[in-house]
Amino acid sequence: MILLQVVVSGLLMGSVYALFSSGLTLIWGMMNVVNFAHGDFVMLAMYAAFFAFTLLKLGPIFFIPGAAALLFVLGVVVYLGLVRHVAKGPMLAQILGTFGLALVLRYAAFWAFTANFVSLPDNLVGGTFDIGGLRVEASRLLAGVLALVITLSMHLVLTRTALGSRLLAVAEDRNAAMLMGIRPDRMQAIAWGIGAASTGVAGALIALFFYISPTVGESLSLIAFVVVCLGGFGSVPGALIAGLGIGVIEALSAYLIGAVYQDVVVYALFLGVLWVRPQGLLGTN
Amino acid sequence: MKQWPLVVIGFLLIAGWPLVVHDVFLQRVGALVLLAAISASAWNLLGGYAGQVSVGHAVYFGAGAYASLGVYTELGWPPIAGAPVGVLVSMGISALVGTPTFRLRGHYFSMATIAAAELFRILAANWPLLGAAVGLMGPPVPRSVADLSFISPIPYHYLFLAVLVVLLGLTWLMQRSRMGYYLAAIRGGDRAARSLGVPVLRYKLYALLLSAGFTSIAGSLYAVMVGFIDPDSALGILISVKMLIVAALGGAGTLFGPLVGAIILIPLEETTNAMFGGGGSGITFIVYGAIILLVARFQPGGVAAFWAVVTDRVSAGRRAPAVPGSSRVS
Amino acid sequence: MFLEARGIVKAFGAFRAVDGADLDVAEGEIVGLIGPNGAGKSTFFNCLSGDSEPTAGTIRFLGQGVTKGSPEAHARLGMARTFQMPVTFEDMTVVENVMVGAFLRHPHRAGAIRKAEQVLDFTGLAHLASSPARSLGTPGRKRLEIARALATEPRLLLLDEALAGLTPAEVRLAIELVRRIQGLGITIVIVEHIMEVILSLAERAVVFHQGKVIAQGAPRAVVDDPAVIAAYLGHHMKRVRM
Repeated sequence: MILLQVVVSGLLMGSVYALFSSGLTLIWGMMNVVNFAHGDFVMLAMYAAFFAFTLLKLGPIFFIPGAAALLFVLGVVVYLGLVRHVAKGPMLAQILGTFGLALVLRYAAFWAFTANFVSLPDNLVGGTFDIGGLRVEASRLLAGVLALVITLSMHLVLTRTALGSRLLAVAEDRNAAMLMGIRPDRMQAIAWGIGAASTGVAGALIALFFYISPTVGESLSLIAFVVVCLGGFGSVPGALIAGLGIGVIEALSAYLIGAVYQDVVVYALFLGVLWVRPQGLLGTN
Repeated sequence: MKQWPLVVIGFLLIAGWPLVVHDVFLQRVGALVLLAAISASAWNLLGGYAGQVSVGHAVYFGAGAYASLGVYTELGWPPIAGAPVGVLVSMGISALVGTPTFRLRGHYFSMATIAAAELFRILAANWPLLGAAVGLMGPPVPRSVADLSFISPIPYHYLFLAVLVVLLGLTWLMQRSRMGYYLAAIRGGDRAARSLGVPVLRYKLYALLLSAGFTSIAGSLYAVMVGFIDPDSALGILISVKMLIVAALGGAGTLFGPLVGAIILIPLEETTNAMFGGGGSGITFIVYGAIILLVARFQPGGVAAFWAVVTDRVSAGRRAPAVPGSSRVS
Repeated sequence: MFLEARGIVKAFGAFRAVDGADLDVAEGEIVGLIGPNGAGKSTFFNCLSGDSEPTAGTIRFLGQGVTKGSPEAHARLGMARTFQMPVTFEDMTVVENVMVGAFLRHPHRAGAIRKAEQVLDFTGLAHLASSPARSLGTPGRKRLEIARALATEPRLLLLDEALAGLTPAEVRLAIELVRRIQGLGITIVIVEHIMEVILSLAERAVVFHQGKVIAQGAPRAVVDDPAVIAAYLGHHMKRVRM
C-alpha cells in the first residue's frame, strides 16, 4: 500500500516534469538548440506565483495563467534577443548563450530574493483526499492532473491545428516551410513562447506544494534534459511517458534508498540509457 | 609568430607581478588568476581544441582536490603528494566516462557531462571517507615546507606559474603537431575527419586524458593553497562553468585565450567578492553569466577572435593587398 | 581485383536502399556510378568508403576484406573520399585543411607541410593557401576536399558528386583535374547524376536503379540501353506527375 502511495505521488510529480520537459523538447525539435536555462524559467515562474499571491493577493486561478503569460513573453524575448543569433553560431556559442542566461537568472534571483527558501501557504489549495486508502494532497493532485491535461493539449495543438502543422513544417525543413509562405523566425519565436509558457504553468503548479529557492532551477534543468533525452528529442508523447517514468523512479528511489540518492539514480539511469541508445529510449534515429 | 614579443612582455609582467605590487590582496589575485588559467587551459584542451564542450570538468578538479586533502587526512602525507593520485583517479574516471560519452555529439555530450559531474558531487557529499557534506581540511599548521602552506601568496604565484608554463608549453607543442591538427579536424566535423584517416575516438580520448590530468592538478593546487574543500567548492557545477567561461571569454581553442580570460575575470570576481562580502558570489555569477551571454551573442570566438580582427585590420592597412591570415593565435 | 563489391545490401528498416549490387573496379580506371535520384548510388558509395556498414555482402580492396572497416581504416588502406555537401574545416586555413590529410602518411609537421604544398600546387589552390577555408565558395570547397583527400596519398579516390552545382566553366576545370589525378595512377570512382560528366570522363559507367545495377559498360553504349532509358524516363515521368 505504501509502495502504491509512493508510485501515485511519483506519477503526479512526473506529470509536472512532463509538462515543462515538453516545452524543452518542442524547442529542441524546432531548432536543435538546448535551453540550459529551462529549469531557471521554472524557478522564475515559482517566484512569480509566490509574489502574485503575497503581494497582489491573487489566487491560483489568476497566477497560473499569469505565470504562463509572463513566461511566454520571456521566451519570445529570449529567442529574439539571444537564441536567434547564437543558433547560427558554433556549438560552443549555443551552449554558452543559454548557460549564461541561466546564471544571470539564477543569481539575480539569489541576489533579489536571497537564498532563503520561501513557500506558498499550505492551505492555498488545501485538503487531502482519501481515495480507497490512498492519501493524496489536493495541491499535488491539482498540479498533476492539470499538468497532464495541458501536456496532452500541447500535443493536440501540435498535431491537430494549423499552428501545429506550421510549427512542425519549420522543424521538418526550414527552407521548404519558407517556400510554403511560413515565416520560420516567427514560428521559432512562438515555439520559444510556448516552451517557456509550459515552464510558467509548471512553476506555478510546483509552487503550490514545494518550497521555492533561487537554485531549484539547476536540478529541474537536469530533470528536463533527462526526460527529453529519454523520451526522444522533439517528441511530446515521449516526454510525457519519460516524465511520468522519471517521477516514479525518483519517488521509488527516494523511498527505497533515501532522498539524497534520488538524483543519483536518475542521472545514472540517464547516462546508462545515453550510452546504450544515444537517440533516447523512445526516440527514433 | 609575430606575437612573440608580446608573449615575452606578458610573461615578464606576470612573473614580476608579486614583486611589483606589495598589497597582499593584489598578490593573491595574481596567484588566483594563474590558478584559473591552469584549469581553463586544461579544459581548453578538450573543450576548445577538440570542440567537445564539457560542463562536467569539476569531476577532475574535485578528484585532484580530494586526493590532496585525502592523502593528508588518511595517511598524513603532505597534500601535494596527492596530486599524482588525483591525476591517476581523473584519468581513470575519464577513461570510464569518456569512452561511452564520446559517442554523443554536441549538446548530448554537454548534458551527459553535467549529469556525470552532479552524480559524483552527490556521491562525495554522502561519502564519509571524503568528509561528506563537511568536506576535508588540510594541515592547520604547516609541519614542514612540504605541506606548501604559506601565509604569503608569493610562493603559490611561482608554483602556479611554473605549472602554467609547462601546460601552455605542452599545448603549444600539441597545437603544432599532428594531434593539434587532428583535434581541430574533429572540431570541424567527425565525419570528414574520419574520412581523412583521423582516429576520432582515440584522439578525443587523448585530449580528455590530458585535459582531465591537468584539471586534476589545478584541483590539487587549489586544495593546497586554500587548505579546505567541500563538495560545492571542489565539485560544484560552478567550478565546471567557471573553466568554460574563462576559456570562452579569452578564446576557446587558442593557446593564450584561457589566460587572457582569467586576467579579465578573476580580478573582477575577487573585487566583487571583496566589495560585497559573502553575498558577492551571487553578483559575481550574474556578471559571469552576462559576460558569456554577451560573448556568445556578439563574438563567440572571445577576445582572441576580436584580437585577430583588430590585428588583421592593422596589418591589412599596412600591406597593400589584404591577405587574411590565420585566425588562430600562435 | 583492385576493388570488388559482391551482393551489397543496405536496408533501412524494411526499405532496401541498395539491394544486391555488385561492382568491380580495375586499377587505374575511372568508373562512373549513375542513376536517377534515390537509386541507391550514394548509399552504395557510403558502403564502399566505410561510412556505413552494408547489411549484407562483402567488399574487398587490394585483396583485403574491408566490409566492416571504419572510415579511418579505409583511409589508411588507401581509399579517400569527398562528400556531396563539402565539409571543410571552417576554422582552419586552406593549407591547414590539407595538412590534416597529409598527416596520415607524414606524421611530422615539416613533412606534412611539404606534402600539403605539393598537393595545393597540383590542385591549383596554392595562391589560397593561407586563406581561411570559410572564405571559399562552393567550387573552391569542392576542390579543397579533393586536395585534402589527395594529401592522404590514396590509391582509390571516391568522388561524391564532386561536380554538382558548378558552372559549365568550372565543370571543365574539374574534369581536367580529375583526368590529371588519374594520370598520377589513382583509380577513381565518381558518383554523378549529370550524364554529360560521365560521358566525357568515365571509361565505364555503372547504372543504378532501385538499389540494383541494371547496366554497365562504355558510357555511350549504356545511355542507349533501353533499360536505362526506361529507368530515367520513368523517374522523370514520376517527377512530372508530382
